[in-house]
Order: sequence, then structure tokens, then C-alpha cells
Amino acid sequence: MKRVLSNKWSIAVFVLPTVLFFTYIVIVPIVKTLLYSLLNEIPAKVGDQSHFVGLENYIKMFTVGRRNTFPGAVVNSLLYAALSVFVQLPFSMFIALLLAGGVKGESMYRNTFFVPVVISSVVVSLLWQRIYKGMLPQTFEALNWAIPKNGFLGNKDTKIWFSFLPSLWQYVGYHMLLMYGALKSIPQDVLEAAKVDGAAGAKLAFRIQIPMIKPMLKVCLSFSLIGSFKLFDTPWILLERSNMDLPALSMYVEMFSNHKYSYASAQAMFIVVECLVFTVILNWLFREQREGGKELKRR
Amino acid sequence: MKKMLALFLALVMVMSLTAALAEGQQEVTLKVASIWSAETEANRAPFLKTLEEFQAAYPNIKLEVEWYEANQWKDAGETLALSDSLPDVFYWNAGGVLWNLVSTGDILALNDYLTDDIMARIEGGTLTDMTFDGKIYQLPYTKACSCLYCNTELFDKYNVKIPETWDELIDAVKAFKEAGVTPMTVGGGDQWPTNMYADIINLRFAGDAACRACYYKTEGATFKTQDWLDGLKAFQELIDLGAFPEDAASLTRDESEVAYFNGEIPMYVHGQWFAGSLSAEMQQKVKAVKFPSVGKGYDNQWMGGAAEGFCVAAYTEHPDEAFIACEFFAENQSKNGFISGAGLPAWKYDFSAYTDINPVLLQIVAETSSAESFLLWGNTALTGEDATLIGQTVYEVLAGESTPEQWIEDMETIFE
Repeated sequence: MKRVLSNKWSIAVFVLPTVLFFTYIVIVPIVKTLLYSLLNEIPAKVGDQSHFVGLENYIKMFTVGRRNTFPGAVVNSLLYAALSVFVQLPFSMFIALLLAGGVKGESMYRNTFFVPVVISSVVVSLLWQRIYKGMLPQTFEALNWAIPKNGFLGNKDTKIWFSFLPSLWQYVGYHMLLMYGALKSIPQDVLEAAKVDGAAGAKLAFRIQIPMIKPMLKVCLSFSLIGSFKLFDTPWILLERSNMDLPALSMYVEMFSNHKYSYASAQAMFIVVECLVFTVILNWLFREQREGGKELKRR
Repeated sequence: MKKMLALFLALVMVMSLTAALAEGQQEVTLKVASIWSAETEANRAPFLKTLEEFQAAYPNIKLEVEWYEANQWKDAGETLALSDSLPDVFYWNAGGVLWNLVSTGDILALNDYLTDDIMARIEGGTLTDMTFDGKIYQLPYTKACSCLYCNTELFDKYNVKIPETWDELIDAVKAFKEAGVTPMTVGGGDQWPTNMYADIINLRFAGDAACRACYYKTEGATFKTQDWLDGLKAFQELIDLGAFPEDAASLTRDESEVAYFNGEIPMYVHGQWFAGSLSAEMQQKVKAVKFPSVGKGYDNQWMGGAAEGFCVAAYTEHPDEAFIACEFFAENQSKNGFISGAGLPAWKYDFSAYTDINPVLLQIVAETSSAESFLLWGNTALTGEDATLIGQTVYEVLAGESTPEQWIEDMETIFE
């Protein structure tokens, strides 16, 4: 067996099916999308009329104009990413630390926080629609507070924020569970040694627990960032058809309502590149940390 | 030997005929897509009846029906078209929306199947927005139009006159507002219900010819006229007066109509299909009238026309059977839909035997009987991004995100 696995040709034979499958379902579509994004705008199926227009679609995407909503959509997705990283993940971490520290009814709390994750996004969106269009206005009225003009989901300035909230809420449990699992896998002797040395509470969390689950934090950050850039379902259902306020929404409307296949392909490529760039940045950031760790060990 | 040969030939002939007959009776399965998935859809019950009648008439053609919601089917249909997998027979809109699929070769031209007999049974003028370059791609099942639905109970209660002129409409809005009643409703979140209002007001101010020229992008057409601006300003006036619910911009059509069904809203501009959604009790209270005049002389022009029908996919494996189904659906849905109160018929039929037809629908038939013209709604007549644009820009005016002047500027970009 060892001899077989040390032979590069054998490895190639074993890996080939996966490589072919991956190429077919991931690489080929991306390359095709890239090609479409460089073509002129014609009905998708009349291929023989198409010709290369270079980066025209990409330039158009970021040309400032009253009706060009794409730059705003990108800004919105970055805002959502920031909310995910700076609000959702710390909150998930806080809950994970509390639960991992051992509280009464730990498993009940853990399961309760995880419930929104197993509910379909459509159900979550409809649930929040009822909150925004029913419960919340009624509560505001009862308290004599001003309701945003056109309602929570109709106001130009606030609707995007209200459409973010359900997704942020829904995935708190998901990140919490990942972090909780990682925290639970920290060896007890390490924690006990830290406690003997006088670490407890925040000190234990920031000096021992969080540094020890960095690999999992990286996973959470990656999921969170990539999820932010391709966010679609919840805002689409909550805001009905009245918006192109996020890159994925804009791409969908351009593709299926406006029939601008090349332009939509350019937007799709932007989302792919954006996700790749941020993944590389994350890897780079965490690589630095690892090297730092090694240095510490040597000393 | 000759006898043997003759016998052999006769046998071959009999066998071929038997095979041909067997072929003729072979069961064919057609995939069908409809948009009436919701139980509340006025067209659902008549379409179920149409399907039943079809199965009785053509037992060897089996139907696999997929049910969608209107917007959902529009997206799904266009996605399926990209991979040449549209169902054999399907519901679709006419005008620009139909052209999107015709231009990509997804829809079968029906001219070869349409005999003189069939053509004679279709109401005149209903194929206009279903025909491109002389080829007919769709068969209508209904004629559409939008009108003003007035709840007479509320008008009587607050002693308000059903408006016939713009000034009377404004007076009615003010009177209802003073009485604490929201005068009108609209599902702004869905965008297209808002277009119903803007379209009919623009038609009253600019007239059929000018609107048609813009919606069909005729050379020299422009939105930059005083009439278009006046139309949008009139729509803005209604918004500013608080004619619509405060959260109208975030309501779906279904949500917006609940208050009307509950008898809390006195006026609503919507398509004729709304008449079929009214309960028997509401049908007695509601009066459908033409939208008020603004004194420009376009009072008898209507928004609508034959905007919906059935199509056959160009790549169907059974084009003959698919056409039979398409024609049957269109003609019988036209009949069943009118009898049940869902819509106006697009096929000629003697309805004198039916005495319990929806009274609101009968009012619409009477009102439109002398119609000068029908013009498709902007978001149906326009195609692709232009259709999206008119939906978004009218929504933006409703939501206070844009002004009539900006609307004109935005819409003018469709000519660039």
C-alpha cells in the first residue's frame, strides 16, 4: 500500500475523478462566466452574435450614475460583513464562552440557540416579516414611538439594516456551536493550570481560551465573510422585489429580470473575486499569527 | 404465388394500419405550468375545471401540472428557458415579456395550427400583443383592464360621491381622510400594483397614442412632455394627500388587499381579476367604474388588453398535442373564468344561459363595451431592464425616494 501511495502516478489516478468532477462543476462554470462577462449584451442563446467588449461590463459596473446601484450594493455587503465580524461573531463567542464554562441547563441553551439555524431561511424571513409588519409597529404605536416612513421594510434608509437583522440572528447559533465545540476540546489540564496561575473570567477567555481556538475562529470568519458577500435569500424575501441593494440581488435582477447576461456575469465574477480576495487576506492574517506562535515556543 | 404475395401485402397493410392506430392511441404526457397556486386566486377554480374538462375530452393526453405564484413563475420560466427546458404548455404574459422568450426561440409559432375556424372564435384585437412579425405565439384566455373599485357602503356611510372627475377624486380622498378612513390601498412592495395607479393616471393625462409610443419605444417618442409630468404630479398629489396606507411601500399585494376585503378601504385601482377575488357579500357592495376624467378627452381609454395567455414551448416533443392543450386551455379558461367571475372572455361564447355571473364583472363588461382603446400596462409592454425600470421608478415615487421630474429623467433613459 505504501508503495502504491508513494507512486505519483497512482496518486494521480486516485485524485483524477475528484479533480474532473470539481473542474466540471466549479472551474468550468467560473471560466464560462468570466467569458460571458467579456461579451456584448445579447440574448443568452444567440451565441453567434456575440463579440468581445473587453472590460466594458466591469467599467459600467463601477461607473457612478443615479441608476447604477451596484457600488452601493457592494458597500452594503461590506457593512453586513462588518456587522457579522464585529457584532455577530463576538456575540456568538460570548454565548459559547458562557456555555462552555458550564451553566445549569447547558445543553438546553445550546439547542435553543441552534434552533434558528435548522429553520429554513424562507421561514425565518416570513417570521421576521410578521415582526416588522405586525408586532413591531404595534409595539411602537403603543409606546408612542415614531415608526420609520413607509414602515420598517419600506423606508429607504432603514430597510437594508432591518433586512440584515434576521440573517445575523439566525446564524449566531451556528457560529456559537462551532466555537463551543472548539472550546470544549481545549484540554482540561491547560485550563486547570491557568486557573492555578490565577486566570479566571475575561483573563482566562482572552489569554487562554480564545488563542487556543484560533483555527476555529478562522473558519467562522471565513464562513461569515463569504456568507456576507453572497447574502441573498433573507433580504430577497423580506424586501420583496423592490431592491437591488446587495451584489447577489443586483446580479439576480440583471440576469433574470433585465436579461443582461453579460453584465450579470461580470457582477457574478466580482462576487467570486471578492470572496477569493477576502479568503486570501484571512489566510495571510492567520498565517502571521501562527508564525508568531512558533517564535513564542522557541523562546 | 401471386395469391400468396397479395395475401402477404394485405397482411403487411393491416399490420401497418394497426400499428398506426396503436400509435394514435398512444398515451402522451404533457408538462403544464400555471400561476394559480394560491387558493385565493380567482383563476384557480376555473382552471381546475378546465383541466378536468380537458382530461375528459382527451383521455390519451396526460397532464403534469406545476403550480406557481405569478412572480415566481416569471423567474422560473425565464430560468428554464435558458436551458431549453420550458414545459410543453405554459402560462405567460404578452407584450415585451413574451418577446423576451420569442426572441430567444423558446416559443412555437402557432400559425400553422390556427385554422380559420379557431381564429373566428377568438375576440378581435386580442392577438395584437401576442403577434410578432405576423407570427402568433400565444393564445389569450382573458382580456384585462384596470378599473376603480368603489366600496359603495363606505361611500354611502360617509356621504361621498363616487368620483367621475379628478377634482371629485381629490374631494373623496380628503373626505375619507377626514373621517379617519384610508382612501385607497396599494401593494407597493410588489411594485407592479403601484404601476396600475401611475399607468391609468398617465393615460388620462397623456392619452393612448403618446403612452403607446413611449411604451413601444416608437421613434421620436419622449417622456419629456408636460402631459407626462402632469400625470406623475397628479399621482404625487394622491401620495401627498395620504391616499395610501402609511406602509404602502412595504406591503405586498395580498397584504394590501386584506383591508379592502374587510370593507375598510373605499377605493382601489386594480385589474379586472380582482373582481373574482371578492366574496359574494362584497360583490354586492362594490361598484367597478372607469378611472375619473382629468378633462383631457382620454376618458374612455383603458389600460389593459389581452395580456395573458398560453404558449407552447418550441422544443416540445409533442407539438400537435401541445397545441391541442394550449388551444383548449385558452378557450375553456376564457369561458370558465368569466362564468366564475375571474376575468373577461377573450373567446366568443354565448353566456346567456348563465344567470349567476359576478355582478362586478358584468359592470366591467358594460363599462368597457364602448372602450375607445386598450393599452398594455407599462411594465408588461416594456421589456427587460425597461420593465424593471418603470416598476422601480414608480415605486420610488410612492416611497418618496424620487420626484415626478426625476421619474421623467429616469424613464427617458430607455430611449438611449
